[in-house]
Amino acid sequence: MGYRELTGMSDLSPIRELNKLSAAGGNTTRPTREPRNWRPFLLLIPAFIIVSFFFLAPLIDVFIRSITDPSLGIQNYVWLFTTPTNMVVAGRTFGTSFLVTIVCLLIAYPYAYLMTIVSDRTRNMLQLFIMLPLWTSILVRTLAWMVLLQDTGPINGLLESVFGIGPLPLIRSTFGVALGMTQVLLPFMVLPLYSALAKIDKRLLPAAANLGARPVTAFFTVYLPLSRPGIFAGSVTVFILGLGFYIIPALLGSSKEIMMSALMYQQISGFLMWGHGTALGIFMLTTTIVVLALVGRASKGTSLFAGRTK
Amino acid sequence: MRNQKLKRQLCVIAMGGVATLLIAGCASAGDAEPVASRDLGTPVAGVVPDGVFDGVTLTYAASGGIFQDGQRDAAWDPFAKISGATFLQDAFDAGKLKAMVDSKNVSWDITNATQFDTARGCGTLYEEYDYSQVDISKVPEGTITDKCMVPNILYGLVVAYNTDAFGDNPPTSAADFFDTKKFPGKRTVSQSPYVDPQTVEFALAADGKDLSDVNVADIDLAFDKYRGLGDDVIGWTSGAQAQQQLESGEAAMGLVWSGRGYGAAAAGAPVAPMWDEWMIMVDSTAIPKGVKDPQAAFAAVNFYLGAEQQARMTELTSYGPVNIDAKPKVDATLETWLTTEHLATGHAPNIDFWVENYDALSEAWAGWVTGS
Repeated sequence: MGYRELTGMSDLSPIRELNKLSAAGGNTTRPTREPRNWRPFLLLIPAFIIVSFFFLAPLIDVFIRSITDPSLGIQNYVWLFTTPTNMVVAGRTFGTSFLVTIVCLLIAYPYAYLMTIVSDRTRNMLQLFIMLPLWTSILVRTLAWMVLLQDTGPINGLLESVFGIGPLPLIRSTFGVALGMTQVLLPFMVLPLYSALAKIDKRLLPAAANLGARPVTAFFTVYLPLSRPGIFAGSVTVFILGLGFYIIPALLGSSKEIMMSALMYQQISGFLMWGHGTALGIFMLTTTIVVLALVGRASKGTSLFAGRTK
Repeated sequence: MRNQKLKRQLCVIAMGGVATLLIAGCASAGDAEPVASRDLGTPVAGVVPDGVFDGVTLTYAASGGIFQDGQRDAAWDPFAKISGATFLQDAFDAGKLKAMVDSKNVSWDITNATQFDTARGCGTLYEEYDYSQVDISKVPEGTITDKCMVPNILYGLVVAYNTDAFGDNPPTSAADFFDTKKFPGKRTVSQSPYVDPQTVEFALAADGKDLSDVNVADIDLAFDKYRGLGDDVIGWTSGAQAQQQLESGEAAMGLVWSGRGYGAAAAGAPVAPMWDEWMIMVDSTAIPKGVKDPQAAFAAVNFYLGAEQQARMTELTSYGPVNIDAKPKVDATLETWLTTEHLATGHAPNIDFWVENYDALSEAWAGWVTGS
């Protein structure tokens, strides 16, 4: 597989490259079928133990609690769907996360593209810029935003003294929350995008131009479809991470921006209603899986090879 | 053949590892041995015999900040020094407490909770007090509100206002808090995950409602009153945030814990308390159900209630002492924030009503803090 990938990259035939991308899995590369060797699977035992002890068991516990606390039955799910607050907050959580995903994508795409065309030295710099925030505490960064964005902060102060407007609702608004979340989640969009864009053969664009495509057409029919795996990988990561945000909506939003994790925390630690809290958790998990399945189907339906077919 | 053998060996090792993990897990969850009781004599608040708790480790869980630091310095560390015990500090979380009690593996010995928490969780989450082991003769009257608590601090939910904005014409009633014409500017109100009945009562008091005669329908009226402030109401989700909003001038007025208002004033912010109408709060010192060494926990609480310890606690935290003989030496700033000087104008909470209607309150609270 490795060998083929390498030769595929230097091969002038983009079709072969694309065929490889769309043929997920590598069994076509294996010349002969060896008798099955189970020994490598033993290496999975530590991972299996960790996953089952620290992930599966708690998840099952959460599910059981959601149908047994305080008594056996579906009362927690009835509560979940009949309490308007829950549905409002769930919708808001998915909406905010979706918004942040789109904003991240719009910012990250040109950035990742830039990373593929500059010199190694500049690329390292660009990579450093994107990684640097990851090494700083999320709380510290959020508090810094709080100081900058608040009504009495420097940005609103400047707007007021220079332009005579404001204070603008920079904090305690969807804007503030989206800004804070975008800043934290951007690396998770840039990195998978970059690795996808770096794999695209740059000569395809001149080739498209050679065949008469204008730059815009070449981008939309050749480059963008090829970058799809990166777009999906980045978007899914950002979207899922975004669903679980707690501290940023709490500090940069008002009560109208509070997201699902705050609602769960409130039920579990504030009200000690573990049945409610766990039902919310199972609901979020199920909904997320459904959304991802739909996205997965949508991404499968579009052939990477054909690009946009009209 | 060799491969088969190796495979079997690896399997055995892996199985052994799993078994060890399981055994270790079960062993740590087992019940602690009962502790023999020591003869401590008749308890006197603030006194513990030398060296009686050598080798005992106690953990206090509370909400952090200068509050917990002050209590540690005023009472827990001195107790440890005299009795020989080791005192640890941890951050309190009600969900964590429930998890500990449910799994019968309680690692906290003393916690700080609200009086509603202990009233609701008495006997299930919290241990009933043996008042023969704690000297409660000097505790302020009416501050012991259920069998699972002694008071922890006497404080309040007070209106803290910006003196630059309202210094000449300060607010003088709960109703003024809602009067944005006379007192323009943003108000900050609790939107923390922890239900706070006093926040509701404050809005009802502003409408002139008799707090001893409230009903469930009043809860929504109270929240509607806050919602009626529109863009002028901002929320705080933690005491630290409330203090920050007051210090930065983000909020011209706030309904905050007295200690947080003091915190802002002590940091130099132009913030003063309104004592004409405020909500009295008492926190519980509670002992988790299934605590390993109840006698040591009671003895530590008994020490905490001493006049000297309480005076020192107040000097360090600004929160009111829970010993009537405590004579804290306070500076001018702290004196203006001392709740114990203003008990006559404070509203006491209707605890029975809130404990009984807690579900209705928490449902409405959830709507309030999530903006729906």
